[in-house]
Amino acid sequence: MTELDHRVRGVDHVAFPTFDPAATVRFYRDVLGFPVVHSICAAGWGPEDHPDFIHFFFDIGNEDRIAFFYYFGASEDIGGAKGARGDVYARFGADVPEFFVRSRHLAIHVENEEDLLEYRRRLDASDWPVEMQVQHETIESIYTHDPNGYMFEITRAMRPVTPQEDLDANLTIDALLDVVGEPEPTFGKLLARKAELIVERAADWELAQGSGR
Amino acid sequence: MSTLYVLDVPENTPVAKVAAEDPAVTVGRIGPYFEISAAGTIVIDRRATGCRHAVWYSAVGGVARDSRITQHDKDALRVEPA
Repeated sequence: MTELDHRVRGVDHVAFPTFDPAATVRFYRDVLGFPVVHSICAAGWGPEDHPDFIHFFFDIGNEDRIAFFYYFGASEDIGGAKGARGDVYARFGADVPEFFVRSRHLAIHVENEEDLLEYRRRLDASDWPVEMQVQHETIESIYTHDPNGYMFEITRAMRPVTPQEDLDANLTIDALLDVVGEPEPTFGKLLARKAELIVERAADWELAQGSGR
Repeated sequence: MSTLYVLDVPENTPVAKVAAEDPAVTVGRIGPYFEISAAGTIVIDRRATGCRHAVWYSAVGGVARDSRITQHDKDALRVEPA
């Protein structure tokens, strides 16, 4: 367990390349309403083969930002074969499983169902309609792909996270680290190790909660 | 002996409730978890729980080493002595 003090304050920015800045601006600024808040016009940057570029930022709330690089003269081919599955950053062959292709994504938080449905309305009226709306365990999300092929999620919590879920998450991770430290990790081994940790630690946790810690 | 653990959060409580309807099954507590156990096999019917799939497939917190999951699909969760 770590007791390091927690000094970070959310996401400053997450950055991706784009080869279609016009559609990217349309999607984030004009459809979703994310303001443009910063841009850098950079020429003669870094090593000789570095193209001139525009680095531009959209406000995604909470003073966090999503940013893009547009490289003048760069070809989309640098991300892989054109037409292959994936996004402009990384393209994948036909043999790569779909779950893997879709695993990387950005999820932006909204406060409630009303706000989630407002973004659904904006996307559905655009060239990038919502592809899925899913209630997971305790969150509800809408998904689409942005003009660059990046999977884009907006999500809301259906209820607040409880303290016991934080305990459960820590037991899961401790069990996972034990199981991946041994040969041939499996889901069954994880559940067995976690059961042991529940017996070892869960009762004490309840006492600690009861005493108000 | 079959034993599984399910975290006590609102989405999961129907799992423990449905399990407890079997007189051979005991539902106790350990910390914030339901401890669901039986001398033999535990079977929980998914439709009876009313759980959404995302909840259903992530409801199991742990399974004791003397037990194993032999079914966990859209119909039921079955835990048997190993």
